[in-house]
Amino acid sequence: MSDMRELRQQSGARESERRQFRAGWSGGWLGILAVLFAIHLPAEVTFTSPGLPATHMDDQGRLVEDWGLIAVGVAGAGLPTTAPTTVQGLKLDGLIPAAQAQSRYGTVAITLTAFRAPVWPGGLDVLTIRLAETAGQETPVRLSLTLPEAGQIGLKTVTLGGRAVVGLPTGTKASQIMREWGWADDAVALPGWAKPSVDCDPAFQNIRAGVGGVPILYHFKVAPKAKVKALLGFCESFWAQAGQRPLICQVEGAPTQEIDPLDRWGQHRPGAVLFEASDENGDGTLDVCVLPKPGAPDQNPILNAIWLFPANSTPILEQVIAGKLNSNALRYVAVGGSNDQSLYAGGRLEYALTLSANGSQELTFLVACAGSSVPAPDNMAWTSEKLRQAAAAVWRDWR
Amino acid sequence: MQTTHRCSGCLSRRHCLQIITTAAAGLAFSGEFYPALARSSKADPAFVDPTKLRPRPRVRVDAAILQQPRPYWLGWPGTTYNLDQRQKEYRGQLAASCRGLAIELHEEEKPIEDDATMTAFLKAVRERKPDGILVILQHMNCWSWVNRLAKEAGVPLVVFSPIGTSFTGHVAGVSRQPGVYVVSSLEWSAVEDGLRMIRAKRMFEETRVLWIQGSKRNETVLDRLGTKVRAIPRNTFNELFDTMPVNEEVKDVASTFRKHAKRVVEPTWQDSFNSARVYTTAKRLMSDEQANAISMDCLGMVSAKLVPTPPCGAWTLLQDMGVTCGCEADLFGATSLMLTSYLLDRPGYMNDPVAETAKNLLVASHCVSGTRLNGFGQKAAPYILRNHSESALGVSVQVLWPVGSPVSLIRFQDANQLIIDTGTVVSNVDTPPAGGCRTSVEIKMDNIEDCRDVLGFHQVVTLGTHRRIVESFCQLYGIKVIHSPEHRREA
Repeated sequence: MSDMRELRQQSGARESERRQFRAGWSGGWLGILAVLFAIHLPAEVTFTSPGLPATHMDDQGRLVEDWGLIAVGVAGAGLPTTAPTTVQGLKLDGLIPAAQAQSRYGTVAITLTAFRAPVWPGGLDVLTIRLAETAGQETPVRLSLTLPEAGQIGLKTVTLGGRAVVGLPTGTKASQIMREWGWADDAVALPGWAKPSVDCDPAFQNIRAGVGGVPILYHFKVAPKAKVKALLGFCESFWAQAGQRPLICQVEGAPTQEIDPLDRWGQHRPGAVLFEASDENGDGTLDVCVLPKPGAPDQNPILNAIWLFPANSTPILEQVIAGKLNSNALRYVAVGGSNDQSLYAGGRLEYALTLSANGSQELTFLVACAGSSVPAPDNMAWTSEKLRQAAAAVWRDWR
Repeated sequence: MQTTHRCSGCLSRRHCLQIITTAAAGLAFSGEFYPALARSSKADPAFVDPTKLRPRPRVRVDAAILQQPRPYWLGWPGTTYNLDQRQKEYRGQLAASCRGLAIELHEEEKPIEDDATMTAFLKAVRERKPDGILVILQHMNCWSWVNRLAKEAGVPLVVFSPIGTSFTGHVAGVSRQPGVYVVSSLEWSAVEDGLRMIRAKRMFEETRVLWIQGSKRNETVLDRLGTKVRAIPRNTFNELFDTMPVNEEVKDVASTFRKHAKRVVEPTWQDSFNSARVYTTAKRLMSDEQANAISMDCLGMVSAKLVPTPPCGAWTLLQDMGVTCGCEADLFGATSLMLTSYLLDRPGYMNDPVAETAKNLLVASHCVSGTRLNGFGQKAAPYILRNHSESALGVSVQVLWPVGSPVSLIRFQDANQLIIDTGTVVSNVDTPPAGGCRTSVEIKMDNIEDCRDVLGFHQVVTLGTHRRIVESFCQLYGIKVIHSPEHRREA
């Protein structure tokens, strides 16, 4: 009897399906066309972590964040300049919602996979780019990430308006063309941070700060082995007593100097220090670095200004501090101010890679999503593996 | 004011006596602290066993003995060193410690005594991915293997170098490396501390803390500690509280808590029932959300008059059972409480720091403190039941900390940085004459010239000097340690 009931139920269900089908068919061509149209629309995939705002990957495989887009491309000898992209949603480890874009630039296949890691407090998107050579021939390629033009590329992160939006893969050096000069670190610009109490160059109002102990690092293009007079300007406006924020200043070719701006000039008082600098290693770049003194109470180095003068000049410190010799300087940098810049041109990251025959390479980027920023790379324990484990753990128990 | 026991909810007078006797005997953890909760209510299908809320992770440790080929001749530990006897002894102690800490031990059967065996051990470790490694040195020439393990194993490394197997030069470098904990000693308890560190880290990873505040529901994970943070809307708590009945468990909890108090000052029985309902609400919520800890915006709830009592009293009960419950939705206050619970097996209390400038002391003040100050299995400190001082509502405790005892102050600033300082309890401050919170302890700080310079807010005070084990834990897991400044800051 129960078998008969089951058969009748199945038969009823089939009849119901037929009725629905006939109703749909007679419902007109418009509906059918709409469905077909939808099927052929390029996909767009969203992904998130429980309770957090979603990110989406658009139909061209670009990651769309609240701060802008990331577009990925590949170039190389003999490779086509464009490639069609297919985008799909998938679940990593059977649990984690992810977006995946696949393209083929001739013999190089590229796969982008993005998922949301539930990093406290706002989450982080994890973008993995996998390049694979498919023709059995070693192939040099240039991988590019196009970012918003205002994106400032540092040593380990890309920042946008002071927000770290992309964390760069460890152990891989970006290879884009460098500007004549600029910063190449992960320090933060803080315009108006300092309050100089005397008339002085406006550069003393701004700083870049190596929050969390990151070094402040500048490179200047110079003639190989060139000699210059470098001056670093400081104005301490936070501490009122000496010994809190002593700094280690390293300028290529000059002896390292330890400077405690508070001790030397006092709070809110601008000051500058001269270095007889040179391109000691002959690489055509003069390196300037300001570090926290190990063990000092405040481990956040600061820097307000840099001047480079010809080696045969004799800049008078008081006049430099007053801003009267800026026009005589080979370089004048209001650090953290209006004329400051990254060493790298904004908006584009490039990596020169060589894919072995039938080999592949993967690069993983951390990407800020809505409401988050990328943590300082030197001050976190996250790895790609741990991020994925965290995502799986959260989805596994989420109700 | 001593309140007599008039509870009509206990099963029987005999049962009540049993509760009191058991608690007075100092039997504590694993359901013995408030036996009324663990026993009399087990028949109730809605009962949540509080002892099951504490995380119980699987913890795996690989261990090996490192020695040189025998027989020994010159060179430390020396020819007279009885290798078989020492190794048998250490293997026995290791097994006992792992049993006690519920750690799965994978021990190399034979000592490692050449490079090839060390390579094989490393390969096996990479495959098994244990939560930590422990090696026991039996010759001074084994340090190159220790350095290799520290560099290549990729998991936390505990090194036991019994006296006679190292000079200062051997340990000075590697013992300060992140990811490594070196014990150069004959004290096995220090080695067991290393195992506790590994277990504590796994407990952090296994913990889901309910972050009860705001209106959002989501889940994230803390960097480095791996603790899951489930944010749930604040109203979830008070809405569940409203449905919690005054049942047998609530009556038992209320009466037991009152009975063991040195005095009951303000709280009425109704206050105690409400406080016990907070306790059952918290357990129910943690159970429903598969959570092990709570960090709640309690002041906001009291301010909005959503509950008739702050959770202070209930938090004390749960803290004593090893279940972390933190105040004011201070997430890193809660993780600091977890550290004392998971690493030191004792409660702490997060506090508002106050400078006592006349005596140059720190006053640590809050309305929640555990009572099992010496450890979950130890006798409770005396406590007085008070109301929550800021609102004059409900039940909170004034725990009387033992004067003259050392204490540690611990505070995660974030998941990557921790403050630790130490001091000594000078006195317990009564309210009145003082204002502020009910548990209020004067502390003479060690190595801090001026009490105004003590770093942090909501530091967790815990009984005992734990600086070395906490610092070692931080080193093992890459957490930066900071201390309050030793010398007075100039104006």
